[in-house]
Amino acid sequence: MRNPVTFVVGLVILLIFGSISFLFQVRESEVAFLTTFGKADEAVIKPGLRFKLPWPIQKVHRFDARVHNFEGKFEEAMTLDQRNILVLVYVGWRITEPQKFNRSFPGGVDDAKRNLESLVRSAKNATVGTHNFSDFINTDPAKLKFDEIEKEMLLQVAGTAKEKFGLEVKSLGIKRLGFPESVTQKVFERMKEERQRLVKQFEGEGDRDATKIRSSAERERSEKLADAEAAATRSRGEAEKEAAKAYKTLEQNKELAVFLQKLASMEAIAKERTTLILDQNSSPFDLLRSTNSLVRPAGTK
Amino acid sequence: MERNLKPTGLVNLLIALAAAGLGTYIARSTASYADEVVSVFLGLGFLVALFSYFQMRMEAREKLEKLELDELAKSARSTTLFDGTDAEAFPARRAREQFERWLVPAFCLVLLVLQVAAAWWLGKQVLNPDAREVRNSLPMMAAFFGFLFFLQFLPGRYSVNVARLEGQRLLQPAGSYLLLGAYLSLLAAAGIVAIHFGHSKVDIFIARALCVILALAAVENLFTLILEIYRPRVRGQAARVLYESRLVGLLGQPESVFTTAAHALDYQFGFKVSETWFFQFLQKSFVWLLLIQSGLLWLSTSFVFIEPDEQALLERCGKPVGTTALNPGFHLKCPWPIDSVYRFQSHRIQTFTVGVVTKDDDHGGATAENTIVWTKSHYKEEFNLPVANKEQDSASNTNAAGEKSAPPANLITASVPVQYQIKDIVAWARNHANPNELLERIATREVVRHLVSVDFFEFMSVGRKKSAEALRANIQKSADDAQLGVDILFVGLQDVHPPVSVAEAFEAVIGAQQTREAKTLAAKGEATKSTAMAEGEAQKVKDTAAAFAVRRVAEAGAIGAQFEHQMAAFDAAPTVYPQRIYLQTYAKAIAKSRKYIIATTNAQEMIQLNLEDKIREDLLNLEIPAKK
Repeated sequence: MRNPVTFVVGLVILLIFGSISFLFQVRESEVAFLTTFGKADEAVIKPGLRFKLPWPIQKVHRFDARVHNFEGKFEEAMTLDQRNILVLVYVGWRITEPQKFNRSFPGGVDDAKRNLESLVRSAKNATVGTHNFSDFINTDPAKLKFDEIEKEMLLQVAGTAKEKFGLEVKSLGIKRLGFPESVTQKVFERMKEERQRLVKQFEGEGDRDATKIRSSAERERSEKLADAEAAATRSRGEAEKEAAKAYKTLEQNKELAVFLQKLASMEAIAKERTTLILDQNSSPFDLLRSTNSLVRPAGTK
Repeated sequence: MERNLKPTGLVNLLIALAAAGLGTYIARSTASYADEVVSVFLGLGFLVALFSYFQMRMEAREKLEKLELDELAKSARSTTLFDGTDAEAFPARRAREQFERWLVPAFCLVLLVLQVAAAWWLGKQVLNPDAREVRNSLPMMAAFFGFLFFLQFLPGRYSVNVARLEGQRLLQPAGSYLLLGAYLSLLAAAGIVAIHFGHSKVDIFIARALCVILALAAVENLFTLILEIYRPRVRGQAARVLYESRLVGLLGQPESVFTTAAHALDYQFGFKVSETWFFQFLQKSFVWLLLIQSGLLWLSTSFVFIEPDEQALLERCGKPVGTTALNPGFHLKCPWPIDSVYRFQSHRIQTFTVGVVTKDDDHGGATAENTIVWTKSHYKEEFNLPVANKEQDSASNTNAAGEKSAPPANLITASVPVQYQIKDIVAWARNHANPNELLERIATREVVRHLVSVDFFEFMSVGRKKSAEALRANIQKSADDAQLGVDILFVGLQDVHPPVSVAEAFEAVIGAQQTREAKTLAAKGEATKSTAMAEGEAQKVKDTAAAFAVRRVAEAGAIGAQFEHQMAAFDAAPTVYPQRIYLQTYAKAIAKSRKYIIATTNAQEMIQLNLEDKIREDLLNLEIPAKK
């Protein structure tokens, strides 16, 4: 052996390529089968280290045996009572028959997803069409059939998927519900109107209560003032009664009393903005008469 | 000894062609980025081999021409038949010179453009790699690359060694590319094996490194072209092959690094460092050291450290070892690829949010903003979730005219953060291909399922706490049913409000309630004031009346007393007293009045008086200040 380095490197390379060509691993999370010159073996290979003949004699086809999940499109469908709703469904599935899966979907998992999605869409639209809107959304647990609808969809999908595709559909759930844009706007409008009704109700109640309170207060005020006026009138009357006793004195000389009262009245009347047109006959302006140079006694001509 | 280059050049060309073709095919068959870059190198190697082969042919023609002319010159030395210019006498040489002068730089330029374009295009791909589907035939493709290694290695090695001889320099570029192609084929095979065993990142790292080398080769090519312009031309001195890359040569012959390094050290230190025992030992044992190091590296895969926040699954040839996961700490295992360890951050509390799509730059969800209001969206997208409505359930689905009304449900937006922790790593890793996505879908489904069964107003107000607890329990149950192996720690109900476009109407109701309260309170205030004032007014009326009564009585008494005195005066002066009191009162009364006194004696005379107020009253009443 002239060059042991070359020998060791060659041996390592030989070991690597030999093991790659003759051995393969199947993980616990995988499912696999062998094809010999293109013909698939019936047996599903169990996890572990396995032997195979090198390509092109034998070839390993391995798939992820765990549950895959995907969701479809948020798609519009019509309920039995002619209402349009949007439904989004997710599906969990796993490969149970790798040979059938490989035959059905040479493109692999993505290919399977596309085909499974068609199945799911079909089952979804068919199921939604057999239920009323109230089966999807309802506060009454007896009327709500959300879970039943999901089960119906799953039943429709699972049979075909197992028989045709070699897949087991493990779960199916409604991920989202919604309304088309136009319906959503209508719902918004209705919600706004409901709120508007409450706004008006509260405003009306406010006006009503305020009016009641004001009215009550006004009534109370009026009552109090009326009582006060009545008391005042009574008080004035009593005063007049008391005053009348003093006026008896005036009866002793009626003419003088009336004269004095006239003077007081004149003084009071002529106090503000009075225009008087007087002639020479009015005392004391009779002094202006040329023929009357002397002051006559009052009350004489 | 003169060797004929052409057969070797042709062999190199054919091998380069086969390598490029097969490499491209493998790159198209596998999903490996490294294979794509390697196929580019192989393609460039083919171009170089092709060009150098043409140059070899030209040099061979030139030599033949020279030999023929030498022969003719010996036989007909005295004739003038071959006298003339060099161009006429040596057409092959002139053709070769023109070739080297124009076509070689042009080819280098083409090579540069190709290198830059490939580095740019591939670099973009490997920096942002897509998730590519893993093909089934990877081991076979790796074997093909192994074949390419052997195909290129020996001819490449031969060419590089022969190129050291005089006049054989044209074998160097293609030989270097063949050797580099051989090593890159091994690297590509390693990348494929890595993908096969689920380590796609290794492939991407290899591809990135090769892209860097490609870019460096382009830079070197550019500098060589620039320096070539300023290189002194000495007649008779053979020019270096312009398209020969030193970088490619170095990578194709890594052992030449030692020679280069030895020359540099000798020059630097002034004595023969390369002749010291250590350097000699390093040079001789380098491959062994490399092998031992690789072996140690491989053996180091037989122990594993699990970090405190991790758990790991151990698989031996694909089968689980034991029923439980590896906990944090040190663990021994068989070396890769017999045993493989898959790590998971099981202790870490993970969170996702249902009902909203957070903004890309929103790391903390809605908490990035300090004020959260209903009328403003705080997320990239908020889903309108249908929620049941008791009032609408009982209402008719159609209006009086039979026209469709809005669906008997309300819409709501809510962000529902869900915090969870992996409690069973085996279930989490082995039952589902994408458990994170499934858990998020289950949680979203449970939120929708809950909303379609609860009353809108109850959910918005008193039912929130109850709903959050119910959601947590339902998500946990569904996750357990799906065997996800997670523990749902917390489900929150945040930002629960009507959709933004309706939120204002809801706030208006709150406003209206406040307005109602305000109106009531204002009325109550006015009523209180009115009542208090009424009491005051009533008291005033009473007091006024009382004052009047007192005044009236007192006044009457005073008038009576005064009258008694006036009667006494009147009795004393019955004529003068009335006149006097009359005039006194009269003067006082009319003192401020406007007076017109008609003093004419002609009683028949008609007098017109204008009693109109010509001066404004306020001006008339204006008091003129007295002069000081």
